[in-house]
Amino acid sequence: MIDIKNVDFSYSRNAKLLSGLSLKLETGRIHGLLGKNGEGKSTLLKLISGLVFPIHGSIDVMGFDPQKRTPEMLQDIFFLPEELPQLPLSIKNYEEVYAPFYPNFNAEQFNSYLKEFEIDDKKAMLNKLSHGQKKKVFVSFGLATNTKLLLMDEPTNGLDIPSKGQFRRMVATAVDESRCLIISTHQVRDLDSLIDSIMIMDGHEIVFNEPNENITKKLLFKVVDHNDTDESVIYSEESMRGLYQVRENTTGEESKLDIELLFNAVFTDKKRIMNLFN
Amino acid sequence: MNTTFSFNRLGLLIKRYFVENKQRELSFWGIVIVVFMIMHESSAIEVFFYISGFIFAARMFKIFSYTPGGMHYLLIPATHFEKLITAILLSTVYFFIMLLISYSIGNALGTTLGNLIFNMQNPVSLDLFQMESITKVWGNQVVTHNGLVSIFLNFALIQSVFLLGSVYFKKNAIGRTFLTFIFITIVIGLIEVLILRVTFGTFSLTGQNMNLTISGDNLFPGFEQAGKIVKYLMIPFFWVVAYFRLTEKQV
Repeated sequence: MIDIKNVDFSYSRNAKLLSGLSLKLETGRIHGLLGKNGEGKSTLLKLISGLVFPIHGSIDVMGFDPQKRTPEMLQDIFFLPEELPQLPLSIKNYEEVYAPFYPNFNAEQFNSYLKEFEIDDKKAMLNKLSHGQKKKVFVSFGLATNTKLLLMDEPTNGLDIPSKGQFRRMVATAVDESRCLIISTHQVRDLDSLIDSIMIMDGHEIVFNEPNENITKKLLFKVVDHNDTDESVIYSEESMRGLYQVRENTTGEESKLDIELLFNAVFTDKKRIMNLFN
Repeated sequence: MNTTFSFNRLGLLIKRYFVENKQRELSFWGIVIVVFMIMHESSAIEVFFYISGFIFAARMFKIFSYTPGGMHYLLIPATHFEKLITAILLSTVYFFIMLLISYSIGNALGTTLGNLIFNMQNPVSLDLFQMESITKVWGNQVVTHNGLVSIFLNFALIQSVFLLGSVYFKKNAIGRTFLTFIFITIVIGLIEVLILRVTFGTFSLTGQNMNLTISGDNLFPGFEQAGKIVKYLMIPFFWVVAYFRLTEKQV
């Protein structure tokens, strides 16, 4: 679905934001894109959608060059940015104007998503809605377009607590084997039950890109009572409940993936984790 | 699927413009009709055509002045060509036709109201529709052999410049395009003067549309028409540059 090879990108001549970035993503998964602030997560989503162009390297999205921004490609991509546009349109008008551009748009789905988010008034103006309400409309629209590729930048920012649950349910039912969803987020707790593949960006490149099943095969996430000096421990973190640890999974024991711990473990001992997975 | 041009997508883009700008369009044309009710001198009307036109053209890609809007626009599944054609149709054809309609309505309403209030019998006179006329521009008499066509072509030329400015400059497109236009005009003027000095040893040649004369003798007969052709060829030239600028746009 997405094949990125040796991409360099910068907004200014002096500072490179992405350097030699390579990445392959397949359909049928919800990819979580994690990284510290300013690592280039949003820029990577923009590169994939053709909003910015690489300085070097190549990007292939569903067989298209995103830089050309052809309608065949764009009608199969929906990008939900962190900051949403201020459009002087009602929800109904937005649907009327933009839905025909997406051949697989399903109006029934759109209405049911809006209903689930408790947005009843389609005459409401988008530019008068709160950020959270507007996000709900765009999430509903994006899912209803049934595009093969969905890009979401911080989708749960601005959503209230019940809406985050509704969002997870909707996405889980909307994504099937033919679709690919990339979610860039800092709110890992909101989405850890949803994401089934994790990418971590550090130092202008992707340092980690693995499906959840591989992660739990090779890493063990545990809470222990006391600190031990076992060599298999990669990262540990104290909490009220005990000591959270990330260890090499040498015994094949099953554990529940903790994305936040994984993220910290990658930043604590990147080399060891990279060796473990390569 | 047609990968270059689709009338369906073009229609959707035009519909998008009108749905998104419904309120603004209604209030703007209402104001324009009122202006034309008061304004009667054809030279002033012509100036109003050009000024309101370039302001409109310079706002065609204003959406790029704020990033989320620009992103949303670039991701609309339509070709750059369709997006540019939409902007050209709206800023040049639609705006000109609407100006003419507003002018006719405003003029007719203004004259009728004036006749009623002051008890007069003035006829409605639509000077702008005369195909052969002598008009005053900035106080100087200018002979226009085919009034309305000439006005439209000059209008389209100005629109094409400001449309390009709208794609080129992220912010303050009107001011920046205007300054760039003045700067380029001065540079071309200086080059022209230098060429005249080197070629004929004089600065005193009069040159308008390449109709160069010394003491009333036309130096290059036929160049006036060629000059006009070159001038109007600048319209598609600016459109083509705007197209490539749009394809290179990053937000």
